Amino acid sequence: MMECLLLSAALFAIGAYGVIARRNLLIILMSIELMLNGVNLSLVNFARVWGQNSAHVFVLMIMGVAAAEVAVGLAILIAVFRNRRSVDTFDLTQMRG
Amino acid sequence: MSGIVFYPCAVICIISAILVVTRRNPIYSALFLILCFMSIAVIYLGLQAPFLAAMHVLVYTGAILVLFLFVIMLLNLRPPELGRELSPWIRVLIAILCVALFVMFCVPIIQGTKGYTIQPPPHGFGSVKGVGQTLFTYYLLPFELLSLVLLIAMIGGVILAKRRL
Repeated sequence: MMECLLLSAALFAIGAYGVIARRNLLIILMSIELMLNGVNLSLVNFARVWGQNSAHVFVLMIMGVAAAEVAVGLAILIAVFRNRRSVDTFDLTQMRG
Repeated sequence: MSGIVFYPCAVICIISAILVVTRRNPIYSALFLILCFMSIAVIYLGLQAPFLAAMHVLVYTGAILVLFLFVIMLLNLRPPELGRELSPWIRVLIAILCVALFVMFCVPIIQGTKGYTIQPPPHGFGSVKGVGQTLFTYYLLPFELLSLVLLIAMIGGVILAKRRL
């Protein structure tokens, strides 16, 4: 149990590093997936500990929402790239006041 | 769960996750992400969640990663279009902060799981029948709402990515 939770915490921390430290939008989206997987892993582990199927249902919901999030995020990325010819987050300063 | 399965998978998972966030080329990141997700699916199997393991492989490596690779190949990024990265010492600082975050997670995990013994799971745990029964009795409304979320995401993706409506 403990090892699995530590693995999920490590995945979450690595994903957080990717979100903060990278400037490539694609990699940021992948890091969000890593963080979601860390949370999923801890939920599956807790389901195993308490013998409840509800957590598996929660994980399925998270997978569905992650799929929706990636679809919208990649569509935004394509729209941004078409206008800016770049996937660098520092180039997205159009809405700066 | 047997350590002989868990520990190699955990090591592969951590190393490929670190490679995902450090590679400059997004293609390599996506391929290492596939490796990471496959090892997580094996860990799900070890946690007696065979249905979730199958769903994980189907949804993540089957749908999401293919979408990522498709978009990467659609954009066809050249090195100048990848953008620049933050300077190395700022990245080292952020890495130290993330290690601190991990240590912060570690303390309650190690203290809280002390003395826990895991019982064998009840009958039907994690199987298609058990999860499906829970999903379609207690969580029927969230399931239907999730289909609405996916429909809205699909329409939004088409509208955002289309050149002219």
